[in-house]
Amino acid sequence: MKKIYLILLILIPLLITNAQTYSDFTLLDINGDDVTLSKLLERGPVLISFWASWCNPCKDEMRKMKSIYEKYKSNGFTYLAINQDNQKSIAKVKAFVEAEDFPFPVLLDTDQKVNEAYNGANLGLPYAILVGKNKDILAIHTGYLPGDELTMEKEIKSALGIKE
Amino acid sequence: MRKYLLIAVLFLITDVIYPQLNLNVKASVNNIFRYGNGYEYFGGNKNSKEYFENLSDVKLTFNDVVVGIRYEISDPIEYGLDFKGIKKRYVEYKNKDVGLTVRGGDFFEIISRGLTLNTFENRAQGFDTGIDGLRVSYKYNFGEGKNQIKTKAEILGGDLTFSDFLNPKRIENYKVRDANFEISPLKFLTLGTNYVYTKGTIPNETNIITNITADLPEGYLTITSGTFELYASYAHKSLRADKNSLYPVGMSTRGDGFYSSLSYSTGGLGMTIDYKNYRFDLTAPNYRNTDRATKMLPFQNPPTAVKEHYFVLITRNPHIVNFNDEVGGQIDLFWVANDKLRFNLNSSVSSNHYEYTKTGPDVYQRVERNFSLIPSLDESFNPWWEVYLETEWNISEKFFTKIAVSRQNSVIYNIDIPSSTEKLIVTTVPVEFRYYISKEYTLKIDAEQQWQKNNIRPLDQQTFMNQLFSFNLTKSPHIGLTFNMEFTNDNEEPTGKKSWFSGEISYKLNPSNSVAVSYGSERGGLRCTNGVCRFVNPFEGLRLTVMTLF
Repeated sequence: MKKIYLILLILIPLLITNAQTYSDFTLLDINGDDVTLSKLLERGPVLISFWASWCNPCKDEMRKMKSIYEKYKSNGFTYLAINQDNQKSIAKVKAFVEAEDFPFPVLLDTDQKVNEAYNGANLGLPYAILVGKNKDILAIHTGYLPGDELTMEKEIKSALGIKE
Repeated sequence: MRKYLLIAVLFLITDVIYPQLNLNVKASVNNIFRYGNGYEYFGGNKNSKEYFENLSDVKLTFNDVVVGIRYEISDPIEYGLDFKGIKKRYVEYKNKDVGLTVRGGDFFEIISRGLTLNTFENRAQGFDTGIDGLRVSYKYNFGEGKNQIKTKAEILGGDLTFSDFLNPKRIENYKVRDANFEISPLKFLTLGTNYVYTKGTIPNETNIITNITADLPEGYLTITSGTFELYASYAHKSLRADKNSLYPVGMSTRGDGFYSSLSYSTGGLGMTIDYKNYRFDLTAPNYRNTDRATKMLPFQNPPTAVKEHYFVLITRNPHIVNFNDEVGGQIDLFWVANDKLRFNLNSSVSSNHYEYTKTGPDVYQRVERNFSLIPSLDESFNPWWEVYLETEWNISEKFFTKIAVSRQNSVIYNIDIPSSTEKLIVTTVPVEFRYYISKEYTLKIDAEQQWQKNNIRPLDQQTFMNQLFSFNLTKSPHIGLTFNMEFTNDNEEPTGKKSWFSGEISYKLNPSNSVAVSYGSERGGLRCTNGVCRFVNPFEGLRLTVMTLF
């Protein structure tokens, strides 16, 4: 019975064409302002990336995405860095982000409810989701290897309708 | 009661869905499969070890309603108790326009910085303080624009089962009730208050159960300006233990905790100062047991105010925070000198609040201090301190390096025989080199050197060294190859081994599906997350991890 249940559990999502779920949210950024995903999507695609200050690959990804964000923000693209630091290290986040001078919005998700809404529990960090302007999930990335930003840039260009 | 609440939530949801008739059903699944086969070391004993774990997190979304299920097969589990079946399930209704969220079933929750409530799961440590119950949150903003006043209210109630990772069969049960209210009357100011009420049953090692009731009120505030951020929180804990054979007349205790942080940032420089003063269960050394009924409760997890390290050898010597009796803090400086050079300086210090003197057989008396708000470096206070400096340097487009130095001092005071007090001095120098061979290929080499001195060992074995080397070659976006080597000249290493070798291959089929296989010997050691530490036994053998996202 349990085996059948497990098979069904895997097959049901495969039968549904629109896998991975868009979920709107409003979070505070590091300056205390509300940022809402659906409002950013009105301008263009959004690459949501979950990160933490203790995660080295996350910081590598953010440093690489700095220039990609600058390159495409005028086309409506947003890189949205959502911080997952818990109560231990959250105090250091604002100081770190401002010292690094990241130009993109950095939001705080201390209780990790947005991460859970994107089914990120137990996946580790970084975890990135590219959401298209029409709210479709266009790509998912777990982890970051140097060079992955090239794949991400291709996906962003495709979402913006920019041809190679 | 729980079933009725869940049914009520389902009815509420059904009422909302049916009139719409336009169901927009979406699903997502993440599946993690972990298998291991080999040997685990307990001290000098080598025992065969196998684990088989599969976790499927399924999420179905129907308009504003989300149904989540985790189906778990852990037979046998790596850490904790075996399990087969639905481990977590929930139904959540969210109306963003109204600001209402209702959730029935399993959930985790952190209120502010977690002084009174912070529940979470860490599978690598067999730690799970998830609550099974009902949570209702409501957000409402008064006014518009700059004069907007933001409010947030939340109530929750449910059952919490906590399995002690040192002895997984010792299970504590709690009924937790919580009410939280936050208001931001001005953009730069947030005020909050929280109240937790709980009734619990806490068995000790010999299975004598103590029934407890506790109240935990908390108040906190955040002040944010352009360059400054100040946070402060105070929590009080009063606990009553019913009478039993351990407490013949019952017991009533009071404790409290204070945490604050101040951060400042300007033009490439970031600074954070944390201060902690945790007195949730001040008690004499002979009563400091993990199963003591008056200890800090498992759903409390305040900030540790120590650096979270990522270099392997430094993480092997973490500071185990004593939330029942610890005062201290840390300062963290982060400086981006230019786009090629970054520095991080961190220093932390902590100790117990008081020293104790022995006044008779198994009788200890506290020595009062005039000022117990700062840590003491006197040995009888069990002090711990660390200084850490790290530099990151992008030498060129192709080369990156990171070098750090860490010095940790800790004292474990022996009140019965002060001359046998354990003093541990650990110095670690880790170095990382990265060479970007091409846009796709990267070679990373890690080398760590550590010197340790422990004064209570025989003279010829007081100092010893640990060394670690790791070679990692990656090809984006698919392949990662890693080879690890570790050496020691520690003659008191519990397994008797002097070297460890392991290799790992990871392959990403696409950005969201990956397989990782490792084989070899791992040294193990103390692993800490969120102030919760456990000793992970050395392992030798095969590990396989498959991660799939639908």
